[in-house]
Amino acid sequence: MMSKLSLGAKLASNKLNRWVEPSFGDLFHSADLSLSTGNGPFARSGGTRMGGKSQPPSTDPNTNKCPRKRKTASNIIKLQPSNPTEPAQGNDDEPWVDAHAPRSQAELAVHKKKIEEVEHWMKVHVDPKTIKGGAVLLLTGPSGCGKSATVQVLAQHLGYSVQEWANPSSHSEYRPSTDPDAYKQTFDPDSRFNGFYGSSQTGLFQEFLLRANKYNRLQMTGEGGASDRKLILVEDFPNQFYRQPGCLHDILRRFVRTCRRPLVFIVSDSLSGDSSSRLLFPKDVQEELGVCNISFNPVAPTSMMKVLSRIVSIEAGKSGGKMCVPDKAALDLLCSGSSGDIRSAINSLQFSCLTDQSLEKGLLAVKKGKALATSSRRAIGKATHRKRKSKDAEGRDEEQAIGGKDASLFLFRALGKILYCKRESPEGSEGFQHPSLPAHLSEHNRDRLLVDPEAVVERSHMSGEFFSLYLQQNYLDFFSDVEDVARAAEYLSDADFLTADWNYRSTMGEYGSSVATRGLLHSNCGHVAGGFRPLHKPSWLLVNKKYRENSLAAQSLFISFCLTPVSLQTELLPYLAQLSNPLRNPAQIAFIQDVGCLSRRKLPGRLKLEALTDKDPGLLELESEEEDGGSASSAVHSASGNLSGDKGDQGEPFQEPPLAGSQGLGSGGDLPASQPQPNTASALLEEDDLLIEEYDSDF
Amino acid sequence: MSLWVDKYRPTSLGKLDYHKEQANQLKNMVQCGDFPHLLVYGPSGAGKKTRIMCLLRELYGAGVEKLRIEHQTITAPSKKKIEINTIASNYHLEVNPSDAGNSDRVIIQELIKTVAQSQQIQSSTQREFKVVLLTEVDRLTKDAQHALRRTMEKYMSTCRLILCCNSTSKVIGPIRSRCLAVRVPLPSSEEVCSVLSTVCRKEGLLLPAELAKRISEKSGRNLRKALLMCEACRVQQYPFSADQVIPETDWEVYLRETANAIVSQQSPQRLLEVRGRLYELLTHCIPPEVIMKGLVTELLGNCDGQLKAEVTHMAAHYEHRLQLGSKAIYHLEAFTARFMAMYKKFMEDGLDAMMF
Repeated sequence: MMSKLSLGAKLASNKLNRWVEPSFGDLFHSADLSLSTGNGPFARSGGTRMGGKSQPPSTDPNTNKCPRKRKTASNIIKLQPSNPTEPAQGNDDEPWVDAHAPRSQAELAVHKKKIEEVEHWMKVHVDPKTIKGGAVLLLTGPSGCGKSATVQVLAQHLGYSVQEWANPSSHSEYRPSTDPDAYKQTFDPDSRFNGFYGSSQTGLFQEFLLRANKYNRLQMTGEGGASDRKLILVEDFPNQFYRQPGCLHDILRRFVRTCRRPLVFIVSDSLSGDSSSRLLFPKDVQEELGVCNISFNPVAPTSMMKVLSRIVSIEAGKSGGKMCVPDKAALDLLCSGSSGDIRSAINSLQFSCLTDQSLEKGLLAVKKGKALATSSRRAIGKATHRKRKSKDAEGRDEEQAIGGKDASLFLFRALGKILYCKRESPEGSEGFQHPSLPAHLSEHNRDRLLVDPEAVVERSHMSGEFFSLYLQQNYLDFFSDVEDVARAAEYLSDADFLTADWNYRSTMGEYGSSVATRGLLHSNCGHVAGGFRPLHKPSWLLVNKKYRENSLAAQSLFISFCLTPVSLQTELLPYLAQLSNPLRNPAQIAFIQDVGCLSRRKLPGRLKLEALTDKDPGLLELESEEEDGGSASSAVHSASGNLSGDKGDQGEPFQEPPLAGSQGLGSGGDLPASQPQPNTASALLEEDDLLIEEYDSDF
Repeated sequence: MSLWVDKYRPTSLGKLDYHKEQANQLKNMVQCGDFPHLLVYGPSGAGKKTRIMCLLRELYGAGVEKLRIEHQTITAPSKKKIEINTIASNYHLEVNPSDAGNSDRVIIQELIKTVAQSQQIQSSTQREFKVVLLTEVDRLTKDAQHALRRTMEKYMSTCRLILCCNSTSKVIGPIRSRCLAVRVPLPSSEEVCSVLSTVCRKEGLLLPAELAKRISEKSGRNLRKALLMCEACRVQQYPFSADQVIPETDWEVYLRETANAIVSQQSPQRLLEVRGRLYELLTHCIPPEVIMKGLVTELLGNCDGQLKAEVTHMAAHYEHRLQLGSKAIYHLEAFTARFMAMYKKFMEDGLDAMMF
């Protein structure tokens, strides 16, 4: 009870004092804090821990710079030193990732244009002269593609200070327990209970934003004077936001209204469906708040190679020949194995170079160790050489010994690999003679594929069934001959047939996707011309859902007619639409007008194609419907709700007829226009396309 | 003002307009006091349901016409809640178990059990059994059908089942053998005409015999459809003229346009448009099987004799797929694509033959 009360009091005090008298609120707040827990949150990284008020750790100079502010803000403000301490050159224990962190724009392994884009944003929004209001930048991209590094480097370059939010850690066990009182408190159940900030992390975050926005850093002697140019950086989100993204949106709305500081969010993309960037920053919120979204690509193999070789040369020079220096082939292997994650690449590089030293430390003969290492290295090298020479389809899958990362593909690219149907040029396979098909089967003869369909499906992180749906939605654009289309459609139908029985779906799913992908590849005889074609999300799921919803609504609304669904939907409803029968309630009338009548216009206005952007994960929300009878019948209840939705849908085409027209399915030639540009210029899309090429050729 | 279909629906076995012999047999059966489980089957719009309601009225009197719609929630053994709408009077219960999808077995078992376990209060004046009317039995899962078989035997003393379906081909043998099968065929064209003119006379309208004939042909002798068409004609134009346009449903027109689009051009782009139209039909609650059937019928009209056989064969193939598969669009599209390829080849061959 006590703890609850004090918590409530604290919240109340927060609310009271936030706008009225912040400086006193600070005191009250901190006093309250120290009373209830005496336990501030800890810094996340770098070992800079924060104690409570009672005993600030005095080891780290960073922490002592402005103790009052941090404590009162009760969260960690990791101040980016404007003159970063040079990493100790002789320190072997420091991971190479940190030791060789990029210090200038030239060292960043990020595409120049991206850096410029971010830099431009920073310049516009950080400079006090041009600031208009709170601006929000969202950086997305796979992990290890240099998002944080770009921000740090640019901030340093431009002389901005970065204030970063880190989730307060609530585990009191990790506190330095020099103080006997503190020790006691740690194991006092009440205080531990207080220590959990679970519910108020959101509050703390809000407080942090407010303070970071309002107060400048204290001017300390010996610091540079870049005081009022500051970035607020959030990489780490309070857990609450994942559960209730609405919280974050509310806070952001307030922030954008009232604040003047630029705010940078960094969110890593994940390939599986639960993309946090989509959860935390849905498209509508991004638009509403004017969030600028810059998405990073995986580090390109060439720039990664550059970085790796630079590190190798520095380290080799430093170690003075003691280190096992990987040759170019091994670096190549590292590059391809890390699939664009430069952090993991550097880590595995360090690991692969370390073998020698550990052997030495293990008091083994140096020479022998070296011989061992080099021979193994040679073996790797040979393997890679052989692989690169033959460019075998299987060779691409060769396991990497060290630090291999699961290669994965974004759906957009995975689809592209299947649909573009890249084949070896016939003269390319001169050395190796393929067994050719007998004469009567010669029509099935195809050049060797450059992709492995099963691997592509596997790397798309998607069930084969859904992958087939995506293929089905998009394959027609890539075909030119009807005969080919018929064969491809036949294969897709086969694939669905294979996975029809849910009993065996888990086993048959793979066969199904194999049939679908290989069938599509095989049946596309014509050479697919290059050039960008927009891809779309499958409409089938939506259509199927609508079909079911409408059927249920029809049955529940017109149950008094005692008809079977089929005759209700195909006979009664269409005729009811034509009869002027007054004995109906408004819901029924609306439903009849929506479902009973088909628009006679050429272009179906209802279905809008949703373009698939390059980073979109597949939609998996609608998956569970088939086996779920309960949801079907529960939808009866919501039938009236659906109706209003239907009405809304119906209204839509009338509100914006030109849009509906241009996005309609029938408008074959206009399709590219329906591709919404996902916040980036079309130049970037082309770049993506190029990147696909690059990946293809480098595997 | 209700629809003509409902307004002039005969309410007793004696008043039925056609298949009078069968009606008499049913009447005799009821008058014996008891009857076995019934399996009533026949095409849509033949009057199965009408006949069943007449039978029930004969059994229980006018009380069966006081219907109430109930929303029932049934808890499956797995604690899953299943909701279903039923239509009931004091004497009978009508339910469409296939509404519950895969959980239809639970509906069959639980619902019939609850009905059968409650005895009639005044068994002296009433029949000692209740009737459960199950519609669309042919859409039941095999699982549910086996459950039904067992339930039929178990509650024979207190409950009679009337099963209603379009075709017995999907009803398992054990059920068929436990029921008295009653087939209700479509009315003949003359019968449809006479019903139409009777209805019109009752409405105080004059229906030309030619129009009645045309309506009966157009409706495919489906009486419900014929009456709806007739009423739509009335809305469209009165007094009737013999050659007036009989209004069709929107989806039929739309489907015909789709078929024409397929025939007029064969290309991947056209297939994309057709796909959009198929989606449009589906969102308007037209079942994929009906789309397939309608499409084939329309397409066959454009085909030569030789091609007709092939197209029908192909359609059968994909219709089968459609039944077994889970995503209808694959099969509809595969059929369309295959037809396009065939038709294009046929046309090109024909063109070549003309050249030489």
